[in-house]
Amino acid sequence: MSGSRPRLLNPGRVGVIARHTFTQLVRMKVFYFLAAFALVLIGVQFLDLPVHHSPESTGVQLLFSIKSAATGTMTLFAVVLGVVATALLLPKDVEDRTLYTILAKPVPRLDYLAGKLLGVLSLIFVSLVIMDLLLVGVLAVKTNAVVAQQLAMADAEGWTAAMKANLEADTRQLGPTWSLQGAVLVVFLRAAVIASVALLLSTFSTSTLFTTVVGFMIYVAGFFQADARDFYFSGGEGMGMAGRIGSLLVAVVIPDLQIYNVIDSVIQGEVLEAVLLLKVVGVTAFYVLVYGFCSWLVFARKEI
Amino acid sequence: MKTLRQRHRHLLVAAILLVAGVVRLPLERGLSDELLDAGLLQPSVELETRQQVGQSLWAVALGGLRTLVATVLNLRADTFFQAQQWTELADAFDTMTDLAPRTRYYWDIGSWHMAYNASAYYQNRDDLPTLRRRAEWRDWVKRGTRFLEEGVRNNPDDWRLWANLAYFYSDPLKLVDDARAEEAYRRSWETGNALPFIERAMVYAMARQPERRDEALERIRAMSDDPRAQVPAMLALRYALEYRADPGRDPLELALEVFGSEERAYRILGNHYLDLNGRFPNDGVAEAVAVLENRLAIDEEKSIFRERERLQAMPIHPFDDSR
Repeated sequence: MSGSRPRLLNPGRVGVIARHTFTQLVRMKVFYFLAAFALVLIGVQFLDLPVHHSPESTGVQLLFSIKSAATGTMTLFAVVLGVVATALLLPKDVEDRTLYTILAKPVPRLDYLAGKLLGVLSLIFVSLVIMDLLLVGVLAVKTNAVVAQQLAMADAEGWTAAMKANLEADTRQLGPTWSLQGAVLVVFLRAAVIASVALLLSTFSTSTLFTTVVGFMIYVAGFFQADARDFYFSGGEGMGMAGRIGSLLVAVVIPDLQIYNVIDSVIQGEVLEAVLLLKVVGVTAFYVLVYGFCSWLVFARKEI
Repeated sequence: MKTLRQRHRHLLVAAILLVAGVVRLPLERGLSDELLDAGLLQPSVELETRQQVGQSLWAVALGGLRTLVATVLNLRADTFFQAQQWTELADAFDTMTDLAPRTRYYWDIGSWHMAYNASAYYQNRDDLPTLRRRAEWRDWVKRGTRFLEEGVRNNPDDWRLWANLAYFYSDPLKLVDDARAEEAYRRSWETGNALPFIERAMVYAMARQPERRDEALERIRAMSDDPRAQVPAMLALRYALEYRADPGRDPLELALEVFGSEERAYRILGNHYLDLNGRFPNDGVAEAVAVLENRLAIDEEKSIFRERERLQAMPIHPFDDSR
């Protein structure tokens, strides 16, 4: 029995590695970023512009500012941590020689990689949950204040009860909604994709800098993937075969990060339906599985 | 040998990425289309916008933070507003709405700045020749209106934006276009989300067009059982249009039928007759007011006719010949 191969993706083993990775990152003081996030939320309160031309416009800009600044900061944190932490972990484990200690034990390399990715994603998730709680709290307070201000103004202008109810419903749509929670989840999903790309890069690169730079390049390119795909499917009008092949290559290799831009629409008050959110989750799972599997293929036989 | 095996692995990885990419292409495309249909994805940003936001903000917008860039630009626009730099302000709002086309607030505030603040600024510039003031005033009113027209094209289901546009067309202090106002109110009402006053506003816009008054009366008659339509302006309009349809009717009898009492009829018809900005039909109104003033023994000093003369002597429009 001693010669038998350990079972792949053992939850206990993966969990231990993930927990270790989480602790390792926490010790790097990444949670200090939460203080920066709180400062952003406080700072944005001062951005209430003195433009009051009608009840429905009063204070609305402040709600937009809070949401866009908060989700922007969340995105920045999640993406930077997703790329940098993932790029850093493998070389750091080699440098600290922890990797040799782990792999000398009956730990499959797949479990090691899965644990590392899960650890990074757990940290991003926990951080986003804390930031989300802060955002919801601040937004709820501000939305109530804005609604009260609008209703007072509407009263002064002699609006009817129906008009005021409609106004309140419209404004509350800009406050803490389930769609906004969905948008925060989408911030996490986008980070998960970019972290799994960084994991793949780090399996064949020994340089953290290379992985980080290329990871960010892929992140930016991901916003053009849909354009490349549409260009290919439209027949590549005005460009030769090389252009079409180039656009196809970009479309099949790079993940489509534009689908995660639903965050922008939710900030503007659009409703993110659960079915669509589930589809985004499904596509994300596909990306993570493919990039994760490829990472394992490279890492499994890599000489360390 | 190991190197060769590793090379094979890398080729295998490349092949898997390509195959997975080909498999996911139609899935991604379908999802993108669904998100676009649901209004959750926005069209690509114009090249002109990229030049306007500058390289640093463009990089932020590229990182999936378009609304954040729009927020920053909104702060910048406020600076332009304070400094009364209207062209820069309008450009900033053009860029904002390109980045966040579903945000009603930017269309609303941007059009208001252009059609009201910028136009009023030029209207009050006494140091400029009258012709130049008039041209600038007109340009900014038109620019604000065009901006809002672009807003409703991007948000056809937003009843408030349609209503704002209709208000622009109806405003007697701007470039009035009652046919377009009626159409905009109609589009607002047809979204199914608008409040009842939008339907009434549509009828008012119809009544302001002489060729649409028969239809306006039909509409008012159809709404006569709706308690929400029993507002003074609507009742006064009903009186004027009923009288217009049958000028032979006794004004007092018609007034009592519509308003229920002489006092109420006098109050509502009096206000209607004094509303010069409303540009509503006044068929039979002067006749009814005269009879009612006589019956209610209204003092000559408090006569509606005297008040109307006083109001008529006051200037209404900044550039009267543009009405």
